[in-house]
Amino acid sequence: MSVVLAAAVGGLFALGTFLLLRRDLVRVVWGVAVVSQAANVYLIAMGGVSEGGNSVVPVLSGHGESVPETADPLVQALVLTAIVISFGTTAFALALTYRAYQENETMDVQEWQ
Amino acid sequence: MEPELQVIFASVLLPFVAAIATPLAYRVLGERTGYGGAAVALACFGLVASQIGREGTVAVPWVPSLEIAMRFRVDGWALLFALLASGVGVLVFAYSAAYMHGEDNLARYYATLLAFMGSIIGVAFAADLAALFLFWELTSVCSFVLIGHNTEEDAARYSARMAMVVTVGGGLCLLAGFLLLAVVTDGAATFDLAWMLANDEAVRTALREQGLFVPALVLIGVAAAAKSAQVPLHFWLPNAMVAPTPVSAFLHSATMVKVGVYVLGRLRPLFLGVEWTLLFATLGLATMTVGAALAVIASDIKRLLAYSTASHLGLMVAGFGFRSAAGAEAGAFHLLNHALFKAALFLVAGVVAHEVGTRHLPNLGGLWRDLPVTAAVTVVAALSMAGIPPFNGFYSKELLFEAAYEAGHSAGGLAWAYPVVAVLASVLTVVYSLRFLSIFFGDRPSGLPSVHRAPVALVGPPAVLAALAAVVSVTPETAVDVVVQAAADATAAEAHEMHAGLPSHLTPPVLMSAVTVVGGVAAYPYSDRLGRGIEAVVNVRDALRPTHLYDQSLTAVELGSSFTASRVHNGLLRTYVVWCLGTASGLSLLGYATAAVQWPAMSVFDVPLAMTLVLVVALVAGVAVSVAPSHVAGVLTLSILGFMVAIFYIMASAPDLALTQLVVETLVLLIFLLVLEELPAYYADVKRFVVARDAALSLLVGVTAFVTVLLAGRRADDEQTAVAGYYAEKAVPEGGGTNIVNVILVDFRGFDTLGEIFVVTIAAISVLVLITMRNRGERR
Repeated sequence: MSVVLAAAVGGLFALGTFLLLRRDLVRVVWGVAVVSQAANVYLIAMGGVSEGGNSVVPVLSGHGESVPETADPLVQALVLTAIVISFGTTAFALALTYRAYQENETMDVQEWQ
Repeated sequence: MEPELQVIFASVLLPFVAAIATPLAYRVLGERTGYGGAAVALACFGLVASQIGREGTVAVPWVPSLEIAMRFRVDGWALLFALLASGVGVLVFAYSAAYMHGEDNLARYYATLLAFMGSIIGVAFAADLAALFLFWELTSVCSFVLIGHNTEEDAARYSARMAMVVTVGGGLCLLAGFLLLAVVTDGAATFDLAWMLANDEAVRTALREQGLFVPALVLIGVAAAAKSAQVPLHFWLPNAMVAPTPVSAFLHSATMVKVGVYVLGRLRPLFLGVEWTLLFATLGLATMTVGAALAVIASDIKRLLAYSTASHLGLMVAGFGFRSAAGAEAGAFHLLNHALFKAALFLVAGVVAHEVGTRHLPNLGGLWRDLPVTAAVTVVAALSMAGIPPFNGFYSKELLFEAAYEAGHSAGGLAWAYPVVAVLASVLTVVYSLRFLSIFFGDRPSGLPSVHRAPVALVGPPAVLAALAAVVSVTPETAVDVVVQAAADATAAEAHEMHAGLPSHLTPPVLMSAVTVVGGVAAYPYSDRLGRGIEAVVNVRDALRPTHLYDQSLTAVELGSSFTASRVHNGLLRTYVVWCLGTASGLSLLGYATAAVQWPAMSVFDVPLAMTLVLVVALVAGVAVSVAPSHVAGVLTLSILGFMVAIFYIMASAPDLALTQLVVETLVLLIFLLVLEELPAYYADVKRFVVARDAALSLLVGVTAFVTVLLAGRRADDEQTAVAGYYAEKAVPEGGGTNIVNVILVDFRGFDTLGEIFVVTIAAISVLVLITMRNRGERR
């Protein structure tokens, strides 16, 4: 497996974790966003990444009989769902951040208890 | 003759069905539900009795993939136990109807009692280790509910929990022991107990070969000791006496506590050997002595009976512990005799408590004039308990003496302790039996109020039991012929014709009985002094009291869990993140290390240069987010990261993802900027130590992800997976579209997409609520 891809996934997970551990709530939300990006890239890596080109895009050329081998469509369907849902959760987390700041008058998650 | 499958199933299932129907029945019948329960028990008794004389195994598959079946074995031993459970059940239900008059939660009481009866019949017939374990644990659960009947009382809750912890803890040992058995017979029988009993030689050899014989024996021994209140796990039984008296008579003398003894009898042919005798004869005789000694000093009549029950259970365990046929006969016969006299005595204790209003032994005496029938019942039952000839308890105790004497005689040396201890415990048994009897005879204490005649509904059930005990006393051979001989055969290694009756000539066991009776009667006048001596021993150290140890260990567990909770679950986000991610990473890495996975061939250059560049830019953007000095800078660099990932999708032949990602990134950037408008900048001193600590965890997570991708990621030139191929094949013929990803989302997995839409909708509504509620002035 490609070291480059593995390093990218590992690096993104590490950076996301680091952000999750910050005291600033906005940075925690960034952490969630980065970790979900990392998870998506990870899923794509699990499906296998090959040299780009029209031949492996999972769109068939016509309604003919022959079905060529394509990039894994199932993984892509999963990631598509994940992108949309992570958008929903990020928006919700931001609204929650806004509201939490109004209620607690601080952005520091350590002071909430 | 083969047993009938339907009849056995009906006898096990009927009580459970009745238990489910009880809440409804209670609305119609009210307190007369007890008689309904008695009818159910009678029906079960009839069903079980119709199978007398049959022998064999019937089964229906339950979990075929694990070779687990609802397998029921019918033989003398199973029939004896099932008859006891349903027969005593009839009397206990009838007695409850009068005794529980005016109590709360009667629907729950009767439902649990019925479910208990079903479980105990299930235990009796079960011939599958999984089914046996299931019914065994069900009896523990029912016992827990019934002991804690008065949920408002601290003592009831404390005792219920104690019984639960001890018996269910023992149940876990039973499960472990059964799994060891299943491991060695894997392939041949797995959980089939009937097969194991039929091929006991092969199972024994397999256990010995794998060195699992002693572990399995000890685990099952611990389970039986916990359930049957053997030393040092006997302490829960006296505490269980807070339960209503019918429960004590039914569960904690006649049936549930005998489950441990029953399983020992069942497995006896499988495990019989030197280790077996050493473990169970010693354990049983120790319990017999300790229980009898504690019964001598008990001042509450129910506690006295509880300790006495432990002592008699010890007698049965010891009987099964001995190798000889007399041992098995002692265990099987005493199971019947003890149920008859002890259940009667418990019901008598209930009558006394109900009519006199106290269970304190020193305050009771001379009640025979007030309660003549009860007194007569007690005479039969108590003398039987003491083992005085010609009452039925004598016959089974005589068999134990015979077995103990034989063991001493054949092994010699230390084994002579067996008959000596048996006699000592029996002397103490005579003493406490006479103490119990003293509540009806001797002087009437001055403080005793006038006592009403007990109603027939309360005296009837114990009288029936005492009458049965009297029948067995007069013609023990009848009982032996009907069921006890068959029961003893099922628990014995080889067949042996059993005899019970009054001795005709002097033998060592007869001499032992004579010593017991004479010694006990002679010691009775000095029972106070004897009691003080026993108390002095008991009070030497707190550490000698099992209850004390139980309390201490429970406190330690509570402290431990509150300490753990304060560390793991303290309300701080970072704590949760650290524990979750740290454990997940640690366990994954540990898994890879122990599985000793091979590193795949690695290549740096199988990803196109352009893609490498895009990923590097994404990583740089990620670093920039992490060290961003302000919120705005962070959000903008986060966007760079997002757009780089979109480009990565294009290069990875995923145009749909790229399109979605671009739209989503744009929207997220807008929302972030809108929210940031309302939020203050954040400044805090960052400690080097904290950064180093967080970086270490991040590194661990990153390394785990890195290793996982390397090990598990799919190579570009690997075969297409079957499921991917399936969707590609079927996209056009079944989905009618050429974009496979699209077809999966809106057609093959359309409902999943609907769920996704719901998630997004709920998120949108939540956002709306969070923002608008504030403006409506709805504050905390």
